[in-house]
Amino acid sequence: MTHTLAVDRALAVISLKRRLAYKANWVFAIILGGGAMLSGLALWRNLLGDGTLGGYDWDSMRAYMIIGFFTATLAFGGADWAIADRILDGLIAVDLTKPMDFQRARAAEFVGSMVSTVPTAVVGSAIAWLVFSPPAPVSPLAGALTAVSILFIFPLAFEITYLSVLVCFWTRRYLGIMWAREAVLSFFSGIMVPLALMPAPLQIAAWCLPFPHFTTTPSNIYLGRVDTPGALGLIAAEAAWVVVMWFAGRLVFNHAVKKVTVHGG
Amino acid sequence: MPILEARSLSKRFRRPDKGSGFKGALKHLVQRKYKNFTAVDAIDLSIEPGESVAYVGPNGAGKSTTVKLLTGILQPTEGTVRVMGRDPHTERIANAHDIGVLFGQRTQLWWDLPVEESLKLLKHMYGVSEADYKARIERFDELLGLGEFMPALARTLSLGQRMRADLACALIHDPKMVYLDEPTIGLDISVKDRLRAFLRQLVDDGTTLLLTSHDLADIEEVCERIVVIDEGRIAYDGPIEQLKAHYITTKAVNLILDGPADAEALAEKFPHYEWSAGEASSEVTATYESSRFTTAEVLGDLTAQLAPRDLSLSEPSIEDVIRRLYAGELTK
Repeated sequence: MTHTLAVDRALAVISLKRRLAYKANWVFAIILGGGAMLSGLALWRNLLGDGTLGGYDWDSMRAYMIIGFFTATLAFGGADWAIADRILDGLIAVDLTKPMDFQRARAAEFVGSMVSTVPTAVVGSAIAWLVFSPPAPVSPLAGALTAVSILFIFPLAFEITYLSVLVCFWTRRYLGIMWAREAVLSFFSGIMVPLALMPAPLQIAAWCLPFPHFTTTPSNIYLGRVDTPGALGLIAAEAAWVVVMWFAGRLVFNHAVKKVTVHGG
Repeated sequence: MPILEARSLSKRFRRPDKGSGFKGALKHLVQRKYKNFTAVDAIDLSIEPGESVAYVGPNGAGKSTTVKLLTGILQPTEGTVRVMGRDPHTERIANAHDIGVLFGQRTQLWWDLPVEESLKLLKHMYGVSEADYKARIERFDELLGLGEFMPALARTLSLGQRMRADLACALIHDPKMVYLDEPTIGLDISVKDRLRAFLRQLVDDGTTLLLTSHDLADIEEVCERIVVIDEGRIAYDGPIEQLKAHYITTKAVNLILDGPADAEALAEKFPHYEWSAGEASSEVTATYESSRFTTAEVLGDLTAQLAPRDLSLSEPSIEDVIRRLYAGELTK
């Protein structure tokens, strides 16, 4: 293992350990996330009845909601405050004296913290699966491609978080940025309401952004709302966003680091 | 060839110029005004390999900002810095391999980890071989007593332990150039002594050191050269001994007499000395210009005529000199 990979792994493990130290968080995440999923399911059961809305019937909506719970748990599970605090408290001064790529180090830590949410996502989804018996993926290939699209959520969630946290260099505050990011992500990903139910202009706007890949892409692949070439195209788009936002992060950081003003010792 | 060279180095910050109170805050929302604040003002600094340099100044003088400019954390507004031939800001990662930095007020330990794990992470980060790592840890244990708290979580360490661990973190990769920003802040005397002994050893081994501190004992015990900065500008740059020789022009003899000492009467009797009363009624101090009289002459004169019960010699400390430099009483 090269030194750089060893550092990445070590930073990810540190972040994971820090999260694992707070075990009550898991229980709360299952209760809160599961509660949101249950209320969503109850709402859609009443809305859909025996009919369909935006191409979703009760069967497909059950699968959609469980996938939504799984992806939202991952997407909102990263330690965004840990990055913001380093910038706002001036600890970035210490980071900048180390021979490490700031973005890569934060990515390792963030992914480590996201991994801590996997048990919550798996346990919550497994319980929902047993209780609501949603349909299986339309094909084994669709199931595999769904898993691939979900894996891309790890880098995507980091990059969106990282880009938004870098705004702290200018604003010197983070809370508002976090609220704005979470609202935009919930709305345009389809976590709140499936994109198919939104007006066409909003759908077009959403698909010009990386957010639909958090919930709509995996659920569309899983439910067969896109064929295999369509699924591959969506995954290619996810991958492209991962690459583009990685370099966008570098660009913004190189500019933001000039704004560093750590006063005093 | 200097290991570090800064030319006309300046750093200006922009600060919001808000009026006071709620009205001022509201006005600033609509009509934003800023003031430029110069933290470092056209500094020239050159450090040769193996030098130990104290960088001192009052609070807000620009010491920490200079360290951040020299380590590549901040980008200069004007001027250039070269550390081992590199620009520390644009070649930050390459530069970071060759420097060690300690900020006394910010830890580089991972808060939730044992000290040992933080050091191992840094070992990977700097690409230190296992053999070198073991040898350095043994040395740190010997000189800093690191072993006693290696398994402890960083957040459970005392301030002294934390500082020693941070020093080990800053030096684990055997850097050529070391910056220590207030390394003894808040420490008790015994830990300070231990750290100073370690730093002296470091300098003896040939490491180049730039040290900022408000504790002048750190400076006198560790450094040979002193740079005094005030309001962002260098007020003095030279050997500590030269600073003393140049500015310490008087010495004093403290006398304890058998009976009460009358400073005014003594001033009439010995007008070429300056006399002041001591704390006790029998104590008195004679201050003389070292360029006019030798200490032997003064002692001979006073002991022969006053027959003191005891006496001691003193000279103004480097602290007195720097205090006067800060106050603008002395110029280079």
